[in-house]
Amino acid sequence: MAKQPLPVADQAPSTEEGQNRMEHYKRLFRRFIVLTLVCSVVPLLLVGWGMRTQYHRFAEDRVMAAFRNEVQHHRKVIELFFKENRSKLELMATSHNRQDLVRPGQLRLLFDRFNQEQWTLTDLGVIDARGNHLAYVGPYDLLDKNYREAHWFKMVMEKGIFISDMFMGFRREPHFIIAVRGQDAEGPWILRATVDTEAFRALVEHVMIGRTGEVFLVNKESVYQTTPRYSGRIMETASMSAGAVHPGIRVRQEAADAGFNGERPVRQIVSTAWLETPQWMLVVRQDLDEAFGAQKQVDFAVLVFLHVSAAAILVVTMLVTRYMLKLVKRRDEEAETLNRQLIQTSKMASIGELSVGVAHEINNPLAIISTERQLVMDALQRVGEMDADFKVQLEDSMNQVDVQIQRCKHITHNLLRFSRRTQSVIEPIDINAFISEVIELMAREAKSSGITFFERLSPDVPPIQSDLSQLQQVLLNLITNAIDAHENKQYGSIAVSTSYLESEGNVEIVVSDTGCGIPKSKLARVFDPFFTTKPMGRGTGLGLSICYSIVKRLGGRIEVASVANQGSDFTIRLPLRSPEATNGYGPDEEALEKAA
Amino acid sequence: MIGSKILLVDDEVIFTKNMQRLLDARGYRATAVNSGAEAIRCLENEDFDVVVLDLKMPGMDGLTTLKEIKKLGLFTQTLILTGHGSIDTALAAVKLGAYDYLTKPCEIDELTAKLEGAWDKKDDLHKKDIQEKVQRVIESPKDALRVFAR
Repeated sequence: MAKQPLPVADQAPSTEEGQNRMEHYKRLFRRFIVLTLVCSVVPLLLVGWGMRTQYHRFAEDRVMAAFRNEVQHHRKVIELFFKENRSKLELMATSHNRQDLVRPGQLRLLFDRFNQEQWTLTDLGVIDARGNHLAYVGPYDLLDKNYREAHWFKMVMEKGIFISDMFMGFRREPHFIIAVRGQDAEGPWILRATVDTEAFRALVEHVMIGRTGEVFLVNKESVYQTTPRYSGRIMETASMSAGAVHPGIRVRQEAADAGFNGERPVRQIVSTAWLETPQWMLVVRQDLDEAFGAQKQVDFAVLVFLHVSAAAILVVTMLVTRYMLKLVKRRDEEAETLNRQLIQTSKMASIGELSVGVAHEINNPLAIISTERQLVMDALQRVGEMDADFKVQLEDSMNQVDVQIQRCKHITHNLLRFSRRTQSVIEPIDINAFISEVIELMAREAKSSGITFFERLSPDVPPIQSDLSQLQQVLLNLITNAIDAHENKQYGSIAVSTSYLESEGNVEIVVSDTGCGIPKSKLARVFDPFFTTKPMGRGTGLGLSICYSIVKRLGGRIEVASVANQGSDFTIRLPLRSPEATNGYGPDEEALEKAA
Repeated sequence: MIGSKILLVDDEVIFTKNMQRLLDARGYRATAVNSGAEAIRCLENEDFDVVVLDLKMPGMDGLTTLKEIKKLGLFTQTLILTGHGSIDTALAAVKLGAYDYLTKPCEIDELTAKLEGAWDKKDDLHKKDIQEKVQRVIESPKDALRVFAR
């Protein structure tokens, strides 16, 4: 038996179709990803970057403000130092006269008293208007020194008070002095104090700002008045220019010659403020990296979090999109399968409708051919003299015409039966009643073949929900086959029985005949399409195949038991409710009208 | 029965003509018409034993023609002869009162066998009707005149 081609609905799509579909899904995937990026990741990044920028500015402002405050504070401390010590000296100069101060022990007393709370002065001296030391308390031998030409002497004599820059002087050590002018009957005199450099420097140099920060003082000539932490030494010229005296506090970012530990040049945050007296510039500076270190950490954390979030969104989106595409693919495949089945069903319905038309249109010409053949046969009977061979040949030809007419008839009849396969009309069926009707229809034909029908219909059989038209077709096929099975027999019987199998919930119909039976070797194939045990031209092999597919579709099963030369039993079991009934296939009004 | 009057109703002219010839050759008296309307007219004017009726015809189709035949209240039997071959239309025709059903193409012998059966049935019905009428006459003489007048 030739291998049956697969129904169209079950065929896999072509490679080109498959490739096109893959391309479509890839495009869909890319579109989803881009859409997600545009709708979620991009706004996230924009908002994140915006917030980060705002925070960056805020943090920078805060750091700058902190620096400003630092400078402010230190300036106040230093100015307070100068103010305090200057005030003390001024008080000393106004509350004592020259004579008092030069008395032995008096200057020492005042010196000790001055340093009592905190060691501030290195020495203290009284100098006359000619620059000569009148009295001196301190570690140096300066009594014989004359300061007439010293800059500080000229300045104090002129202005009344003078605070010098750091200078080496006779001591050969960096120091600075505070000098105030006193006045008595003899004329002006000067009280000069040397500020303890270490004590003063401690005010500035002991300020620690982080790891890279330094605080120092420079004068207008950019000479260090204190030793910076990293950048140079006291009395050296600083690499940075002091610039013009400016009011208030300035904070700026600038490149440094060398950063912390003298490494590569860095950018620093520098804050400067000028003292009023002396005119020294207080400098506070720190490497930018350290100053903004905490802010940079937060910045980094925010950026990492932002980008990790964006990446996470992207990854999740890709996974979700992939999953959704899988669902979409599955739905598309199901839809395509359904569509193919629908097309196949429509095709079959069209073929069915076509079959009906074709069958009918062919049957009519066949009927005419049959009548013409019969007329020829009748004429042949009436003809008197005719060549015997010719007559035999003519009769044979007419018989062959009849054989082929019958063959065409079987084909068209099976085509008509086939056309009924595509439609299902589910309705309540009284099985016994419908069997009786079909038997009544077939009884006369069977009787002419010497066959008797027996009905053994159980009254317990309940109505079933099924397709009446298709069940009629099945029964008709089985009865027709049963009649044909008696071809070489004079007598026979066909029994149709029904029963209700309550435990299974099935109705059973058995068609038994006393025909020629089916050989055991062929039993397994009787339901195969185009398989027939009838002689060539007598059967198309579709009848039982149609029965099988109808019964299966109606939710039942059909079996055969047969003994060669004794007969066959075809058993059909049907559920009380066809599966198509649960799918909502009800009676088709049009079909009912046509049937009526 | 030899001499039975058969009315052939089919829109295929050649078919009805051939069938008429075949039936006439076998002793029947066949009349061929090609539409349901013509068939009804013939039946109204003439007594036929059996009507051989095609189902699919233009205008009045076979089933409609069958219904009209039944309305005439005749004893004439109807054989459905059609190329459609569907079981449900066959059953519908039998339910409407057709005697039997044949599919085209059919053997002339098959047809004549059915015609005999149909004629027998018509004869039985006719005889039964006469018996009923006679019985009524016997039971009620007053009705006798009415029956014989009919």
